[in-house]
This record gives sequence, structure tokens and C-alpha cells, in this order.
Amino acid sequence: MKPAPAPIPPRLSTPAQVASAFRGLRWRLAANGLRLLLTGSRLRLAMIAVCSAIFWAGLFFLFFGGFQFLKSFIPNLSGEFVEYIFSMFFLSLLIMLIFSSGIILYTGMFHSREAAYLLTTPAGPDRIFAYKFFEAIAYSSWAFLLLGSPMMVSFGIVEDASWKFYAIFPVFFLAFVLIPGSLGAIGAMLVAGFLPRRQKTVIGVAVALAVLALAGFGLRIWRTPGEALTSEWLDGLLARLEFSRHPLWPSRWMSSGLVASVRGDWSTGLFYLGVILAHAGLAYLLAAVVARDLYRLGYGRVQGGRSSRRRFGWYGLDAAFHRVFFFLPQPIRLLILKDLRTFRRDPAQWSQFLIFFGLLAFYFVNIRRLSYDVQKPYWRNLISFLNLSVTALILSTFTSRFIFPLLSLEGRNFWVLGLLPLKRESILWGKFAFSSGISLVSTEILVVLSDLMLRMGPAMMLLHMGMVAILCFGLSGISVGLGARLPNLKEDDPSKIAAGFGGTLNLLVSLVFICAIVTALAVPCHLYYAGQDNPEFAGVPLSEGQFRFWLTVAILVSLVIGVVGTVLPLRIGIKAFQRMEF
Amino acid sequence: MIELRGVTKTFGAKRAVDHLDLSVRAGELFAFLGPNGAGKTTTIKMVCGLLRPTSGVVKVGGFPAASAEARQLIAYVPDQPYLYEKLTGREFLRFVVEMYGLDPRASARRIEELVETFEMGDYVDELTENYSHGMKQRVVFASALVHDPKVLIVDEPLVGLDPRSARIVKDLFVAQARSGVAVLMSTHLLSIAEELADTIGIVDHGRMLANGTLAELRDRVQMHGPLEDLFLKLTGGDRPLVDGALLVQARDLDR
Repeated sequence: MKPAPAPIPPRLSTPAQVASAFRGLRWRLAANGLRLLLTGSRLRLAMIAVCSAIFWAGLFFLFFGGFQFLKSFIPNLSGEFVEYIFSMFFLSLLIMLIFSSGIILYTGMFHSREAAYLLTTPAGPDRIFAYKFFEAIAYSSWAFLLLGSPMMVSFGIVEDASWKFYAIFPVFFLAFVLIPGSLGAIGAMLVAGFLPRRQKTVIGVAVALAVLALAGFGLRIWRTPGEALTSEWLDGLLARLEFSRHPLWPSRWMSSGLVASVRGDWSTGLFYLGVILAHAGLAYLLAAVVARDLYRLGYGRVQGGRSSRRRFGWYGLDAAFHRVFFFLPQPIRLLILKDLRTFRRDPAQWSQFLIFFGLLAFYFVNIRRLSYDVQKPYWRNLISFLNLSVTALILSTFTSRFIFPLLSLEGRNFWVLGLLPLKRESILWGKFAFSSGISLVSTEILVVLSDLMLRMGPAMMLLHMGMVAILCFGLSGISVGLGARLPNLKEDDPSKIAAGFGGTLNLLVSLVFICAIVTALAVPCHLYYAGQDNPEFAGVPLSEGQFRFWLTVAILVSLVIGVVGTVLPLRIGIKAFQRMEF
Repeated sequence: MIELRGVTKTFGAKRAVDHLDLSVRAGELFAFLGPNGAGKTTTIKMVCGLLRPTSGVVKVGGFPAASAEARQLIAYVPDQPYLYEKLTGREFLRFVVEMYGLDPRASARRIEELVETFEMGDYVDELTENYSHGMKQRVVFASALVHDPKVLIVDEPLVGLDPRSARIVKDLFVAQARSGVAVLMSTHLLSIAEELADTIGIVDHGRMLANGTLAELRDRVQMHGPLEDLFLKLTGGDRPLVDGALLVQARDLDR
């Protein structure tokens, strides 16, 4: 029998043709997106521009003031001290960008329908990787550029840098982001290739380790011996930051290069820029090689892992919920239970919740080790309000990331909600109850723990508990209301919904709300305690009687802000939800 | 053009495809049938190179699936096709043309032909985010054909299409097969398989239960009724329900 003839190979697309197709695609997508933005809602565009400008200007003045303050103590600002600060800043960013790029790339390369489509085209895996990589870098790094540019501009002005510095620092930034982006990409592909069913565990463990390391580092800094801002304290602090200046860290190359550039020492500045560029190229090349060899393997394994069926149970908890909340109408209970089940079955939600609130609890439990409880009442009051503010800020990121997208995530099944035998507003009240319930339980425990460790009196403890309740209701109302008013029904990735216009607005409104509530109540308390035992503020004390009066006023004001902050967004959301067509 | 020999695919303990042999020649329209979870989509994904077989060989046009040559020959239309929402239909077709490295002038004519064939002239220059499901399906079919593939793989092709669109797609399958393209079509619509397919393969629990022309299948099962009865008999779908009622009464068993 004659062997079968060898198949005739088809004419293959060249890498240059594939690259050109991807360039064209990116350009058309960007051009169409921009055209839509310009021809769409002017108000929305104006809001984005104004918010970005305010945010940038705010950061600029903050950094400008900070650098001027430092310069008043350290005339040679572009010396060792600022290098230490920059090294720490860029090291933290390096770690954060590794995680964010890795997570975005993992979703884009292994869980998106676009990836499935592209893998059947003539594009090679390394080309598809390149296309997805630059998209992920843009998503993960825009905040870094927004944060870093006002810092560099203010640093340049304070140090009287030449115009060349302002031209070259963006090149430093763009080269730098390629390093963590590539490392994150390699991590994502290795997890997909070799631990395809453990991806969430890997991310959870890695984030927990990073946050624990950060907390450990924070504690070390906190325990720097000596009185703050003395030379002994400063020497101790720099010794503790020494690890961030290891010559092999990209963060060191950034800080040394930027500081040299601001001084006009171009040979050193350009040397470090060259080092960063070379390593960025090498890291990207490594990532592309890993993609060439592992992308298809990883994609197949991730897809295979998804089809293994898991049985879910734990219905005893549901029955207990029905018994405890018997007074709520059954359909509302069922809706809340649906969200609760999604919450507990999605490790991305409860693991982040657990990590951040767990770390806060860890810090609060260790308050007495730091001897905060034996400080003067002024400091204890200050720390208690700071603890409360941090708890509220973390809660606001949680409500923006998970509660705001709740309605949007109903997506194509939205009509199911529309057809339920319920008043539509009940659906939103159900989500509000779900969010408030989880928030109240977790934050009240934390604030009581903090106050007990700080040995605060029962009156202050009650005040803080009340504040936290107002914040929980308000933040839940804002997220549920704006989530219904600005839903994104086309997106099924909650992180992209949270990072969109509606999600960003939600976070901004939440921050303003927290500021308003905390400021209203913190100011009279601060003035009262400052006047009690701090001679620095002896000129503006509040007497016992004045304190009672102003605290009552503050409580009333915060109650009004709380009610408005809760009810107004909910009413806006309910109105929009009732008008919505399915 | 499509060749699967002893292909097995396991996901953990679950065996999705079990020693499957399958062959689709150039010019043949092969209908791949089976109940839900039978392994049809897994098989199709292996042919497209999206999944690797645990064992066995998958070849397209004589080349290993997932190789650059195989991907150049294939057009794949999944059950939930992907379109870039911020591109127009025409821009998407141009992207496919560029990706396959085709001559721009000849391709522009080909795009115009397909726009006419699929009656997309009214909306092809609008963003695809505004399309209905049927409109999207037409663009996806046009994108599958714009580079003249030698192998066309389609998963559930008629879901959500109106009668006019369905007619266009059905005619297109036949025309493609007659022009020498190997068409592998997975479907639950048995009437479509009966109407269009040259060869039918029935798969269940990852194994090929029967494979041949409709007449060959009827001879093998000794059943001369509609394909539906034959399919249910082969896959066990005619067995009684738990309470004793018959799920399906096989009709014309003696006919």
C-alpha cells in the first residue's frame, strides 16, 4: 500500500501581517471609542475631565507641599532621603502592578471569549499575548501614571529641574511598568499551565503574603526608636528602609535615575534609564517566550478545569437565615439569600473582605503592644478616629468593588428581576439590606475592638458605633442607588464595572460621604481633647459644656448627612430602576 | 480534511471524549449529533486547537490541530460567537482579512459579495454593539467565509436565527460543501441534519454510537422512521420515565 501523500501546506499569514492586523484593530477600537465618547453625553465627559483635573491638581498640591516641607528640613532634597522615599514608593508600585497586571491578563487570556476566538485565527500565541499584554498594561498602569506624574512635576518644580526632566520622567515610567507587567504575565501563565484549578487559591495566598509582609514592614517602621522627626529617629527610619535600595530592585533604578535626572546628572540618569529599558525588554521577551510555549497548554487546562462539576450545599445556613429574618417578606429573603450564596461561593469576594478586615483586626488586637492605650486622651481619641476612618475607607472600596456592580451583573438575566412578582423597589431594598447587613456586622466588631484596645470610654464607644452604622447605611445606599442608576449591563467582569465611569463616581461620592461624616464628628472631639492636655492647642479648647453642645450639633448634622446620603441615592436608583425597560 | 483517531479527552475524573474516531472528507457535510454533555463541543474545540486531546491524534488537512497550517485552513463559528462591540461589521471583516494576510483589493470585493449574500447592507457600517443576535450571526458567518476556508466548523448554527437568515445559512452550508469545503456541524436540530447532512455521527458519553449516511444508520438500527426516533433509540432517550410513563413513543417502528 502506498503511503498517503504529504499534505500541501497553505500559504501562512506572516508575523508582520498578523501584527499589522492587531495594530489596525487597536487603532480602530480606540478611534471608535473616542468618537463615541465625544458624541455621547457631554455631561459625562465633562465630569470625567473635571474629576481627573481636580484629582491631579489635589495630588500636585499635596506633593508640592510635602516636598517643600521636606526641603525646609533637608536643603539637599534630591539626595539620599528622597531616594529612600522614591525607592519605597516604586517598590510598593512594583508589587501592586505585578498583581494587577497578572490578574487582568489571566482573565483576558484564559477566561474571555475574545481569547477563544483569537486562538482559532492564524495569530500565534505570542502575538495574541502581545495584544492582550499592552491592553492589560494600560488598564493596570493608568492609575500609576495619574499618581506619579503630579509627584514628579512637583518634585521637579521644588528642585528647579530643567525642562529635560519633565520630558524624560514619562519614559522612565513607561519603561518601568513593563517590568511588573511582564512578571505578572509570566506568573499568570505559569498558574494557568501548572495550577489551573488552584488559581484563586494562588492569588489569595499571594495577596495574603504580600499584605502580611506589608503589615510587618509597617509595624517595623512604626516602632522606629526616638522622637518623631529627630535625627536619631530619621537615621533609624532610613536603616529600616535600606532593603528597598537593593541595587537589583527596579525601584532602586527608578529612584536613582529620577533623582539624578532632576539634579541634571544626565550620565547617571540615562545609565539607569538604560538599565530599566534593558530589563523591561528582557522581561517582556521572557514573557513572550513563555506565552509562545505555554499559552495554548494553559488555555486548554483552564478550560478543562472549569468543566469539572462541583456540588454546593450548606443549606443549613439558608434555613437559619429564613428563621432569623422571618419578618421580611419571603421574596426579599430569597433575593438576599441569592446574593449571600454568590458572595460565599466567590472566593474573590470573601477573600478580599477577609484579608483587609482581618489585617485591620490584627492591627487593632496589637494596639496595646504598641502602647497606644497608655497615651494621653488626645492621642487615643485621634487614633480611634483614624482607625474608624480606615475601616470606613476599606468598606467603601468593598462596596464600590462588589455592591455597586451587583445590579449590572444581572446583565442578560435582567428581565428575571423585572418579571418577579415584587415591587421593583423591593429588589433594591433587598440588595441594600444585604450590603448593610454584611457591612454592619464586620465594621461594628472592628470599631468596638479598636475602642476596647484603646480603652475609650463607653460614651465615645457608643458615638463611634453610631458613626459606623451611619457610614454602613450610607455607603450601601450610595452603591446600591448608583448601581441602579448607572448600570453597565454589557460587562460581565465586576472589576471592569467597578473601574468604569459609574464605579469611579461611586467611589468618589463614597469618599466625600466618609469625609463629611468623619469631619462633622471628629472636629468637636478633637478640639475638646486637644484643649484638655495638649499645650499646643491651648488657645482653642472646648469646655465641657461647649463640647456637649457642639457634639449634639455634630450628631444632628451627621444624622442629616447620613439620611440624605442613604435615601437620596436609593431614591435616584429606585426611580431609574422603575423606568428601566427590559 | 478532518481526522480524529482514538481521541480521548478527560477533565479530571470525567471522560468527556472516549476513543473517538471521526473523519470528514473535503466536500462532505457532516452533522455531529448527541444529547447535552455528550462531548460534541469538546470534540469541536479539539479540532479547532482550543483543547489538546489527552490521547489520540487530531489532524486538519493533514496537519496537527492547533498548528499554524491547520488554523490557516479553518473557520470556526462557535455557539456564542465573538464580535468586537466597538467595531462595525465591515471593520470586523477587514480585520479578519488582514489577519489572514489576504490581498486587500480582492478581499474588498469578497466583503461586498458577502454583505450582499447575507443581506447586511443596512447595518454593516454600524457598531456591532447595536446588532440583534441574528445580525451578529450573519456577520460571524461572513467573517468565517471571507478567507475561503477549507474546513468550516459550526457549533449550533441556527440558534436564534429568523427563518430568512436560517435559509441563507443552510444554503450556504450546502454551497460550501459542494465547492469542496469540509463542513463539520454540531446541532440539536435533527431536521436540519436530516435535510442537509451527507453523513451523520451520533455521539453519547464521548463515544461514537453510529456514523454514516442516514440510510446506513437506518439499516444498522433496523429502524426506518424519522431521524428523531433513530436518535432517541440510539441514545436511550426512548426509555421510560421513572414513574413508568414513556418519554417518547417510538413511531412507525414497523414501517
